[in-house]
Amino acid sequence: MADIRDILELESPATPELTRESITGSDKPKKRYSSGAKPAKRPEGMHREVFALLSKDADMPPIFPSDTADGYKQMKIKLGMRKPRKWKWMPFKNPARTDDAVFHHWRRPSDEPREYPFAQFNKKVEIFTYTDDEYQQHLTCDDWTKEETDNLIDLAQRFDCRFIIMADRYNTEGVTKRSVEDIKDRYYKVQGILGKLNGDKKLYVYDVEHEKKRKEQLGKLFERTIEQIEEEQFLLGEMKKIEARKKERDRKTQDLQKLISQADSQNDMPRKSDKKLPKKKVPNPARPRVDTNYIFQAVETAGIKFADFKNSGVSLRSQRMKLPPNVGQKKVKGIEQSLQFLGLEQSPPASEDICQCFNKLRSEMVLLLEIKGALATCDYELQSLRHQYEAMAPGKTLAIPAQLTNTDLDIKPNPGEIIDVVGSPGNPTNA
Amino acid sequence: MSVPTDFGPDSGGRMKGVCIVKPIVYGNVARYFGKKREEDGHTHQWTVYVKPYYNEDMSGYVKKVHFKLHESYANPNRIVLKPPYEITETGWGEFELVIKIYFHDPNEKAVTLYHILKLFHHSGSTQDLQEKGLVSESYDEIIFQDPTQLMHHYLINTKSLGSDDLDHVAYFEEKKEKSLKAIMDASEKVRADISIHKNRLKLAQETIQQFKDEIAKLQESQSQTSL
Repeated sequence: MADIRDILELESPATPELTRESITGSDKPKKRYSSGAKPAKRPEGMHREVFALLSKDADMPPIFPSDTADGYKQMKIKLGMRKPRKWKWMPFKNPARTDDAVFHHWRRPSDEPREYPFAQFNKKVEIFTYTDDEYQQHLTCDDWTKEETDNLIDLAQRFDCRFIIMADRYNTEGVTKRSVEDIKDRYYKVQGILGKLNGDKKLYVYDVEHEKKRKEQLGKLFERTIEQIEEEQFLLGEMKKIEARKKERDRKTQDLQKLISQADSQNDMPRKSDKKLPKKKVPNPARPRVDTNYIFQAVETAGIKFADFKNSGVSLRSQRMKLPPNVGQKKVKGIEQSLQFLGLEQSPPASEDICQCFNKLRSEMVLLLEIKGALATCDYELQSLRHQYEAMAPGKTLAIPAQLTNTDLDIKPNPGEIIDVVGSPGNPTNA
Repeated sequence: MSVPTDFGPDSGGRMKGVCIVKPIVYGNVARYFGKKREEDGHTHQWTVYVKPYYNEDMSGYVKKVHFKLHESYANPNRIVLKPPYEITETGWGEFELVIKIYFHDPNEKAVTLYHILKLFHHSGSTQDLQEKGLVSESYDEIIFQDPTQLMHHYLINTKSLGSDDLDHVAYFEEKKEKSLKAIMDASEKVRADISIHKNRLKLAQETIQQFKDEIAKLQESQSQTSL
């Protein structure tokens, strides 16, 4: 009884009962039970969270059945109350077969007898046949004899127009070999003519040439060697590169064109135009003008066009020193760097003089950057021209002037040559 | 100052060709406590302000000045209606202030200044004055292009408040002069550079043409020999 008391966590009576254990002296199992039943204490050093993971007695499933109802309530599952229908091994005929063979399958006799349902999938191609007269009148052909055509139609009927098989059977010994395409072509021509005679609306046309070409192409594609495939990949890659380069060049040319149109609309210094005129007037008539020729003129008037604050209203002077939004990130960065390099503040006090000079300075900075960029383009072109020349005339080369190759070499300009680039608004344009 | 009745705010017409410029100074001073304040961790007391460059009564044409402080301040939108247009606060960090100046004539749009509150020294942008602590000031000019008649009236009748002998005037006059000179010098340099590079570009252009001609010649001779 003590075991059950322990399990049920009942207080054991104060006076120990007479039990088998007390008689045999084996007290151990009892102790084990009681220690398990007591709410266990957390061992020292064990974390509370870890201890909480240990299962408590309360969570344990009961050891003996707690349900006292007798047995299962319902011994058998009731799926349906009706009598099962019978299945029977029965004979059937497949109408798709011509040999009247009889087979058997399982069927319910209660179902009404029907035609074998899979027979409907036996589709027959309608193939027109012809009489001798019809052949003589409409179907004669230089390449095909009547016997051959007969054979073809027979094969078509036998193999349901599976042309690959037909071609295989057709090409027996003693007959002129014909390809699948030839057979197909002849078949569709004959059927087309006969169809027309019988007033059939559907007309199948078979394009032999196209089909032959298609197969040839596929054959070629399939028979490429690994080297050929690699070469093709390589060439495709090259083409992409060339196209990318071309795009880049087009973009640059467009930029230049933009600069040129800007140049046309902006003011130009008369002094400068005097200098440039002779050069402009002698274009090389034999050769088309190349975009790099434009750079020089285009670059002249580049720079920043600051917004005119002519509108009525209140504004801050410092707003006039803001770079207009059409100045690209790259230029803004360039200006910042130039200012830093020259040891200037990014935003000086906004007085009228400073505002004007500062804007002019930054415009000049942009111009300088543009010129440097154009110079780089020219340099690239020079290099490529030289390579072209060297390739055409091995052993010979063209000398690029040292002034261009050595960018560190700063030639001090003649003070008189310093040109006011930005131009002042009052001056006429050199159109 | 009495406003004549013949032009109210609706009299509309702007005075074409008239342009009045009012220079101003804005910025902040900051003083370090010497240690971090226990209760809120603030380290500096600062004052942000807008004041006229010349000693005059700005309230003559300014209706109010709106200082927008950092969000962390209690009611960060501070409006000052009378001079001095300034806000004094304590804090521990630098942030960008938005300062909006509204004018008496509602037809004139408010102008917006941006100032980065400075508490710590940076090379160049701040001055260190013994008695004031740190000063970070900017100079700007409010330009009234074609002001309304009402605004014009306010602007030309601004009261002067004595001599213009203010601290910042001396400072900015010197700074303006220095900046202008530096810019002019830099301009000179850049122009010289432009000239050099332009010549170089011209040379490059000519060389390119020359190369092209050479190649053309070579092509011609080659095609002739191949024939």
